Amino acid sequence: MDEPRSHAVTVRGVVIAILAPAIAAIVSVPLATSGPASAIAVFLLACVIAAVAGGLWSGLLAAVISSFALPFLFGTERFSLQLDGAEDVVAAVVFLSVALVVGLLVGGATEDRARAARREREARLLGHLSSKLLTGEVPDRVLDDFANILLDPFALASCDILVELDGHPLHARAERAGVEPGGPKALVPLVVGAVSFGTLEAERPMGRRALSKDEELLLEAAAKQAAAALDRARLDARVRMAQLDAETNQLRAAMFSSVTHDLRTPLASIKAGVTSLLDPSVEYEPEQERELLTTILEETDRLNRLVGNILDLAKIRAGALIPTRQAAAVDEIVGAVLRRMRPRLQAQGIQVESDIRPDLPDVMVDEMQLDQVLTNLLENAARYTPAGSGIQISAGVFREAVQVRVSDRGPGIPPEERERVFEAFYRGGRSPEMPGSGLGLAIAKAIVTAHGGRIWVEGAPGGGAAVVFEIPIGEGGP
Amino acid sequence: MTRVLVVDDEPQIRRALRTSLEAHGYEVSTVGTGEEGVVGVAEQAPDLVLLDLGLPDIDGTEVIRRVRAFSDVPVIVLSVREGQQDKVAALDVGADDYVTKPFGMEELLARARAAMRRKSPEEPTEPLLVFGTLEVDLARRLVSRDGDQIHLTPTEYSLLETLVANPGKLLTHQWLLRKVWGQGYGTETTYLRTYVRALRKKLGDDAQAPELIVTEPGVGYRWVGEPTEGVPEHAE
Repeated sequence: MDEPRSHAVTVRGVVIAILAPAIAAIVSVPLATSGPASAIAVFLLACVIAAVAGGLWSGLLAAVISSFALPFLFGTERFSLQLDGAEDVVAAVVFLSVALVVGLLVGGATEDRARAARREREARLLGHLSSKLLTGEVPDRVLDDFANILLDPFALASCDILVELDGHPLHARAERAGVEPGGPKALVPLVVGAVSFGTLEAERPMGRRALSKDEELLLEAAAKQAAAALDRARLDARVRMAQLDAETNQLRAAMFSSVTHDLRTPLASIKAGVTSLLDPSVEYEPEQERELLTTILEETDRLNRLVGNILDLAKIRAGALIPTRQAAAVDEIVGAVLRRMRPRLQAQGIQVESDIRPDLPDVMVDEMQLDQVLTNLLENAARYTPAGSGIQISAGVFREAVQVRVSDRGPGIPPEERERVFEAFYRGGRSPEMPGSGLGLAIAKAIVTAHGGRIWVEGAPGGGAAVVFEIPIGEGGP
Repeated sequence: MTRVLVVDDEPQIRRALRTSLEAHGYEVSTVGTGEEGVVGVAEQAPDLVLLDLGLPDIDGTEVIRRVRAFSDVPVIVLSVREGQQDKVAALDVGADDYVTKPFGMEELLARARAAMRRKSPEEPTEPLLVFGTLEVDLARRLVSRDGDQIHLTPTEYSLLETLVANPGKLLTHQWLLRKVWGQGYGTETTYLRTYVRALRKKLGDDAQAPELIVTEPGVGYRWVGEPTEGVPEHAE
C-alpha cells in the first residue's frame, strides 16, 4: 500500500526534523537574554512537534540537532559544536528522551490508525471481490474482473491469472494503461484446500518497490477467494451438466415414445388391413376391399415420410446437413414440388396456388434441400387447411433476401406457440391427434438456418397460418 | 413378350416385383447381385433392367458402367431418398431413370413404359414433333407455337433438340452440359439454368407449373411434353 509507514525515515520527516529546530532557534534568539531555560523550552517544543508531525525518527533527529544547536547558540563556548558542560548534556538527554517517548507514542497511534485503515480497505476489497466472484457468471469473465480490481489497490502494472478449470485453461489479464511494466513481481497460488487452480502473477510498474509482506498476505487472501469462487463455478457447472443430462434424457424419452407411437400407428393400420384382406373366412365387397387397400397405401406413405423425417433429423443432429449450394430459381423448385405433390393434395380436396414473379433473383441454395423445405411446409399446411380450401405459395424480395410464404386456411397458430412449432416433436395444442411427427417444421428450420436464412410463423389473411422463410440473396455466393 | 431383369438383393422386393410385373404381362427374371446382373444382361438381352443401387457385391453405378460397355438396354434405378448422390451418379453413367423406394407400382410401370418407348440412338427420330400447339421441325430446325415461328439461338435450339430427343428421360445437369455445350463442360449449371429459363419463356412453359420441361431439383431436367398425333392443334 502507498501510505507512509509510521517508523520509516521519509523526506518529509527529515525536512520537519531540520525545520522545527531552525524555527526554534529563530524564535529563541530574542529570548537569549532571559537565560537558557526559555530557549530550552522552545527547543523541547520543537522536538515534540517534530516527533508528532514527522514520526519517531524525525523527533530523534530534531533532538540531536537541538542538542547541538542549543550550546552552539547559547552555550558557554559560543559557536563551538561541542557538548560540554553538564547542562548541555542534560538538555541533550532530555531532548532525546522526550522525542523518543513522544515519537513512539505518536508513531504507535499512527500505526494503529494506518492498520485500521488498511483493515478496512482489505475488508472492502475482499468484500468487493467476493461479491464479484459470487455472481456465478462465466468464470473467465469473473477472472478478468478480478484481475482488473486488483490493479489499483496493489498499484500494479499488470495482473495475470492463469488457471485450469476442468481441463480448460483460462487466462485473464489486466493491465494499467500508461504504466511501464517490468517492475518487481509477486506470484501467488490459487488454492482451495488441497486443490490448486493455478497462479496469480502481480507485477509492479518499472522502478517501483516490491510488494510488502502485508500486501502479499492480502494478495494471497484475495487469491484464496478467487480460488474458492472457481471451485464453486466448477461445482455449479457440474450441477448444471447433471440437470442438462436429465433434461436431455427426458427429451430423449419423449422423442422415443413419440417416434415409437408414430411408427407403430401406421404399421398397426397396415397390418390390420392386410390381415383382413388375407382372412379366408370373409368375402369383401370390391368397395370394402378398395377401402382397406387405400388405407394401407396411405399408411405406407405416412410411414415413409416419417422415416424420412427421422433420418433427416438424425442427419441434422449429427451435423451432416451441409448444403451443396448452387444458384437456383425458386419458381423452378416450387414447380417441381407442386408437380410431385399436387395429385396427393388434390385427392385431399386441397388446391395449391403459387404466385412467384419470374424475375425473382436467384438464390444460392442446395436445390434438394430447398425442395425438402417446401415439401415439408406444404405437408404441414395440408395437415391443417380444411378440405376444399387452398394453400397459397408466394415469393418476393424483401431487404436483400428472397422471402417465400406458404399460407393455409386452417385455424392459425396462436402467437405464443409460433416459436415452438419449430421444435422437434412439437405438435401444438391445436390438434394433438393430427397425423404427422412434428418433425417437418423442425427440419425445415434446420435447413433454412444452414443456408443463413430465417423461418417464422405469421397469421395469414383469412385466419390461417403462414410459414415464411427467407434466404439472403448474396449468401453463399460464388 | 417384354423381358425384364430385376437386380435387387432383397427377396421380398424381388417377389413383389415379379408378381406384379408378371401380372402386367412381362417376362421376369431376378438376380440378387451386381455380377449376376451384368451377366444376366449379357446372356438374356432383356428389354428393361430394374436395378437396385445398394447391392452387396458391386456398386449399382459400376453395374451400369459395365452394362453400358455393351448394351443400350433401358436401366431404371431403384434408390432410397437418402441416396441422392448415388442416384445422380447412376444417371450420369447412363441410367435412364430412377424411382425412389418405396415406390408405387403404377409409377414404376409408367417409368418403365416411357424408358422402353424411347428410341434407341440409331433409330431416327420423327422429323416433325408436335406437342399441343408447339411444333418442332427437326429436319428444318424450325420451332413454332400457335403457327408463329419462335426464334431460338443455336444453343437454345440445341438444348431443345436434346430434350425432345429423350422424351420422359431424366437428363442430369452434367449429361446435358456435355451434350449441348461439349465434353469440357459438366459443372456450369448456371448456364444450363439460364438457357432452360429462356427456352421455357419462348416456348410458353411456366416454371411453376411446367408442361414441357420439368425440373428435378439438384438432378436435372426432363422433357414431359406429350407428343400429339397428327396435325398441330392450331391448324384446323
